[in-house]
Amino acid sequence: MLKGLFAQPYVKFVAKKAVFYAIVIIVAITFVFLISRCMPGSPLRRWLAGIAHQQGPGGQNIEVIKKALEEHFGLDKPLFEQYINFWRQLFAGNLGLSFAHYPVPVVKLVLQRLPYTLGLVVPVLLISFFLGNWIGAKAAYVGGKRSELIYFFSVFSNQLPTFWFAMILLFLLTTQVRLFPFVGAYSSWVVPLEVRWSWAAFSDLLWHYCLPFLALFIVYLGGWATGMRSMVTHEMDSGYVRYSDQLGFRKSKSMSYAKRNAILPQFTGLNLYLSALIGETTVIEVVFGWPGLGRLMYEGVLENDYPLIFGGFLVSIFVVILGNFLVDILYGFIDPRIRIGQGR
Amino acid sequence: MWELLRRNPKFISGAVVLGVIVMFGVIGPMFTRDPTYRRLPISQPPNNDFILGTTGQGQDVFAQLCTGIRNSLIVGLLSGGLGTLIAILFGALGAYKGGLTDEISNFITNIVMVFPVFQALIILAYVLESRSLILVGLLIAATGWPWAARCIRSQVLSLKEREFINLARMSGMRSIETAVKEVLPNMFAYILMVFVLLSGGAIIAEAGISMLGLGPDPNNNVTLGSMLYNCMNYYSPYSRWTYLWWWYLPPGIVLTMLLSSTFVMHAGMDEVFNPRLRRV
Repeated sequence: MLKGLFAQPYVKFVAKKAVFYAIVIIVAITFVFLISRCMPGSPLRRWLAGIAHQQGPGGQNIEVIKKALEEHFGLDKPLFEQYINFWRQLFAGNLGLSFAHYPVPVVKLVLQRLPYTLGLVVPVLLISFFLGNWIGAKAAYVGGKRSELIYFFSVFSNQLPTFWFAMILLFLLTTQVRLFPFVGAYSSWVVPLEVRWSWAAFSDLLWHYCLPFLALFIVYLGGWATGMRSMVTHEMDSGYVRYSDQLGFRKSKSMSYAKRNAILPQFTGLNLYLSALIGETTVIEVVFGWPGLGRLMYEGVLENDYPLIFGGFLVSIFVVILGNFLVDILYGFIDPRIRIGQGR
Repeated sequence: MWELLRRNPKFISGAVVLGVIVMFGVIGPMFTRDPTYRRLPISQPPNNDFILGTTGQGQDVFAQLCTGIRNSLIVGLLSGGLGTLIAILFGALGAYKGGLTDEISNFITNIVMVFPVFQALIILAYVLESRSLILVGLLIAATGWPWAARCIRSQVLSLKEREFINLARMSGMRSIETAVKEVLPNMFAYILMVFVLLSGGAIIAEAGISMLGLGPDPNNNVTLGSMLYNCMNYYSPYSRWTYLWWWYLPPGIVLTMLLSSTFVMHAGMDEVFNPRLRRV
């Protein structure tokens, strides 16, 4: 029965992808481990330097503190044993304790921030995908001057550096026209949603959400529209569309075939865009003071809190890989060649 | 080919804009004040003495802009060039050799592709305490190449089946020799396009990482990204950073123009080199 299941091409495809992404996760985690342990000196060094700085001359002996901390975090054991331990901790869902917010577990901090990042990334990716592809296809279909104009604007908006565009939005919409709040996710008098759910807090959050969303959305919209326009233009030039035109098909009919073929390569673009978007969201979160995962990592960098940085990194890797996996599964479903097992 | 390229309006307009920016970056720093000198009157809007005003820290914005362009171009050229080499290595070699080499290079490409590169850059930048311009360029080069390797791979795969390659092989050319003498020249235009896009991507990646203060040390290196970083983290009891428009508008405008010009140049090259799009 299990053998029969794996004989199905689609299941085989999904299983193959799952194995690949599992390997990617293992590589990524090993990378994180090695980097964190091979840091010049020790992972504790910057933290200790901070303590030494605070105490000033005549403080407690730094070496003693260092010894105690190394023992506490298991840094005195051989590297391989540490590595095994790292994995064991991971499977127990333990990413260590934050230095700066000691003794709050990193997992707790990360999970608190994760919804804010996902709430930004997922809608931006999906809405810009659908709307951008629609605009791109429309532009190719209309042709002529209007198409060129749309092309120009989508190229331009896609070339805007998101973080700078964010600054411009802040300048225009919070300073020149006081339409939106300056930074943060809530006004200072509002109790955050994770503490207590209320409609007032939710609407306040939405108000703060507009600018970060716009900054990412407009840039990505341009990207999809540019890509789709050129894909559909290619398709419209190909044999089957010309033939169906000559057979006297309605233009909208032959266009629907062209669009179906053009959307497939766009779909693979979702993978690339997802990785890029997670990165850009980090900077956007910092600019807008949006309390997401990227901002958490940034705070970790500022406070020399290495468990927090690496914890945040691991979770963002996990999010990206899960997203990639979902896109691949969907792709296999949409592309009939993979569903039936023909072609690659 | 080059004749066609010279007559292509997209390529020419992109090249002209890029050329003007490069001029500012190359010649500008020779004639401007020291960009890191901090004793000028602070937060001056553009006037006769300071063409683009001064920063909140008392530096000349125009001088910073010119030096920033130069440094961004250095990062772009360095990691664009290096990234192209890596992409050729992983894309062309695997596709050309086939078999296990192909499997391995494809696998590595796919892994780096799904890796959240920007986050990895944050970690690497955090770990390395003193970061020079060159180092940041190298880090970006090491992470930005996978899509380029994919493109080159598919190009080599289609090229490999052509007759003149088989002919070279049959006439007893060694495989390295065939690759260098027969395959690469035919890929030249394509590689040039990849280089242009990778350089543009590297410039924006540097600006992004500098924007977090994790690029080249923001106190000693002026880049377009570090200007934005310094502006956004400028604290003054009298005004928000958003009022200092002459500080953060120019670097972004230059960045956008740089990227748009590389993109338009790429589109123009595509029209000339890609037979499906060629209009003669």
